[in-house]
Amino acid sequence: MSESRLPRRFDPWPAGVQPQVPIEGYPSTWDFTPAQSLFPRPATRTELTGPLDLWRKLPCGESNLAVVSPGRIALGQLIHIEGRILDEDGRPMCGAVVELWQANAAGRYLHALDQRAAPLDPDFIGNGRVRTDDEGRYAFFTIKPGAYPVPVEDTWWRPPHVHFSVLGSSTLSRLVTQMYFPGDPLNDWDRILNSVPDPAARARLIARHLPPAQVGDGWLGFRHDIVLRGRNATPETP
Amino acid sequence: MTPARLTPLSQHTIGPFFPASFFREGDNDLTRVSADARPTALGERIVIGGRLSKLNGEPVVNGIIELWQADSAGRFRHPEDPAWREADPDFLGWGRAWTDADGRYSFHTIIPGGYAEGNQRRAPHANVLIMGAGLMRPVHTTLFFPEFAQANAIDPVLTLLPPVLRPRLVAFDEGRTNGVRAFRFDIRLRGNREEETPFFEV
Repeated sequence: MSESRLPRRFDPWPAGVQPQVPIEGYPSTWDFTPAQSLFPRPATRTELTGPLDLWRKLPCGESNLAVVSPGRIALGQLIHIEGRILDEDGRPMCGAVVELWQANAAGRYLHALDQRAAPLDPDFIGNGRVRTDDEGRYAFFTIKPGAYPVPVEDTWWRPPHVHFSVLGSSTLSRLVTQMYFPGDPLNDWDRILNSVPDPAARARLIARHLPPAQVGDGWLGFRHDIVLRGRNATPETP
Repeated sequence: MTPARLTPLSQHTIGPFFPASFFREGDNDLTRVSADARPTALGERIVIGGRLSKLNGEPVVNGIIELWQADSAGRFRHPEDPAWREADPDFLGWGRAWTDADGRYSFHTIIPGGYAEGNQRRAPHANVLIMGAGLMRPVHTTLFFPEFAQANAIDPVLTLLPPVLRPRLVAFDEGRTNGVRAFRFDIRLRGNREEETPFFEV
């Protein structure tokens, strides 16, 4: 029996990995989160499948967010983020679509809903989409985002973070998450990061430094592997 | 060699600032595999639309809804489906919509086929995944069609719900607009038992 014929498995989320809601000081978590119990559903074919060539629908290739046009470079610490998209068995997910979005170096998003009095950078948009290669690798060049305050009465600050949306090979492996930066003191106080109960699970959301020997002197390097749910979840399509 | 067991990363909210530029015209059209592809010729074209709301029925603005369904013959173009090689190559089966200031969304798709799975029979359906600011984890539900009452009555997912809640997952047939049948499927994220849409733990 070839590997591709092994049954796919989607075990329940391990304890402590999923964020606990609602979150104090994040009012939307009270208004949006379902109040009724969820109905347990076995994984059926509809959940085990998903589009395998989504990169045709969602064009990929905007991997350099720091240089939107030749000679115009965004303000901020230039960084490189690379990693692999893997399943729970460590198998690379090739052809996955990886979307990244973030604030600029001043902690402001180029978004109509972000009206904070922090400067916009005319040379920074802050989002990109790439497709993983045969070894499940993705990479972005960007700038380190700034921290920003959450606009609630009892305000708190979001640490610098990058949003990831990953579209893998099944409904069950769909992941939206955030990446944090190592050593930032705001990480310890972030109510979103700390809604994840297990310290080891929180640590996995924090990128690792990439040695300069591996990325050169133009960019401060970070490595961030993204593990999606599912065992033997990476389909082989001969 | 036994591969190392890794732990999936924790889910987080999309937050309020998911980029509008990630959405392009046609992303909500499941019948095209790419923006410049011709739509599938198979199956009855339909429109599915509705309103996404939260506590007190207030609209969810800039919410994201992703739809996934089988082709007109009930096949998925994915090796998990034994008949995946016969799946319609011109049908993507996936679409993404975002909600407007009133919480409204719409999709262009076709009526999916039903199919056998194990010793059970799945009614035609579409999986619905919803994300939004404040939703730390996406929520999942399934949409069924009113014209397949007999198939719906034995569908192994719909029958997980108590009978009184099952109609909540059946879209309303709103008749034809420009020759295309339109279905309405409103989604209420948070409310009391009578208001809230039934969601599934996955």
